[in-house]
Amino acid sequence: MPNTSGNAYALTTLCPLKHKGENQESPILYTRKVLQELPNCTDLQDSPMSKVPNTYLARFFILDDTVFRGYPFHLDHLQSKYLVFSVEFHGDLETYLKEMYRAVSKEIHTIWKYGFGFEEVKHEHSFVSYIKKCQVETTFFFNGSTDESLEEQLKSLYVKQEFSKFVFEHQGASPEDLLAAYKEFDQRVQPHILAFPTWKPGVDKLEEIVKTSN
Amino acid sequence: MSNIAGKAYAMNLFTPINTRRLWINKLIFRLAGTKIFQKITFKGLLTLSLIHYARWVIIKDKQFPRLSEDQPQEKLKYAYMFFFSNFNGSWTQYVDSFSMSIPGGLNILWYKNIGWLYPVPETPFNNYVLSNQIWTEHYYNAYPLASSNDIKSAQKVKKAIISLSENLDNISAQDFHKKYLQTILSVQGDINLMEPTPVVSLAHEAIARRTRIERNIH
Repeated sequence: MPNTSGNAYALTTLCPLKHKGENQESPILYTRKVLQELPNCTDLQDSPMSKVPNTYLARFFILDDTVFRGYPFHLDHLQSKYLVFSVEFHGDLETYLKEMYRAVSKEIHTIWKYGFGFEEVKHEHSFVSYIKKCQVETTFFFNGSTDESLEEQLKSLYVKQEFSKFVFEHQGASPEDLLAAYKEFDQRVQPHILAFPTWKPGVDKLEEIVKTSN
Repeated sequence: MSNIAGKAYAMNLFTPINTRRLWINKLIFRLAGTKIFQKITFKGLLTLSLIHYARWVIIKDKQFPRLSEDQPQEKLKYAYMFFFSNFNGSWTQYVDSFSMSIPGGLNILWYKNIGWLYPVPETPFNNYVLSNQIWTEHYYNAYPLASSNDIKSAQKVKKAIISLSENLDNISAQDFHKKYLQTILSVQGDINLMEPTPVVSLAHEAIARRTRIERNIH
């Protein structure tokens, strides 16, 4: 299955956009504006995708037309413009899309407002059906990371960060002091428990990154 | 609009392919999953280890999704290949790394793409990439502070910590000390403090500067 690499899934969708919008609104300009106004770069924890379980990385862009490589090559033109939604996630497609709809249905309806056929999306099942119609098969998927669940990845990053601090702070400690400090570390970090403490998805500030409770 | 999300950069390349030779491109990607092919094609890239995930998608005009009778059918002379990559570092670092480490591999993966330029010399190749790249409108990354190597290292560290945490109530301080040093030795290449540098801070700085300009604050 070229869409998968272990438990990691590469979803590629080309969602055709209508040519005319409501009240002379341009579907392209509208969609571009909605996407550009999503919390970006410095506020990723507020992106709707941060609320969708098991999302590793996701992107949206507009495919306006083909690229022209100049004479003597042919000039191709697309008949429609496409909203490209591409995501890497953990797990199977249907579960992911249903959870996505449950988590951010309001944002989904705002982003895909002008999608051809999107008017039929009323619930999670019709959203799954719509996205599958827009999906194109991945030809080759390269996984340079891991295929663990996002919860597992974030907990591992938290443990790595805390253990690195511990090692730096306890260089040269006596065996007795080291064991006592490590017991406190183990109680605080809870390496076996994924839920918390852990890292929050999408946070890029060290002072805000640790989630200590639900 | 942003191609950057923390330490990850989103590249979208869209390149035309001659349909007569498309079967060769598809065959190349079918072989790309094999270990021998990866050793030949990706070796330099695997060593650099700067990619989270990447994918190639080849489609012909009839495969563009058509969801309504009102939507015109696409009629294209060429097939098209998308390349989506999530990598650590700047655009220049990435394109130069590709160009320097796997020029032969790139020629295979982009075999006979229309207008394809060889990765060396770099300047015309960089221009080719720029003219085929599409900017991302929204890019999300679940772990902006972590590189691909951090995520892989974190798995090893967590596994080692779970083992180190076994039997803590019954172990002697001397035995724990030995076990602790062995653990550190086994993960010494994987422990480091993750910081919002260098790419995150540069991106923050650029956004803060842009925001000041937009708000007319000088």
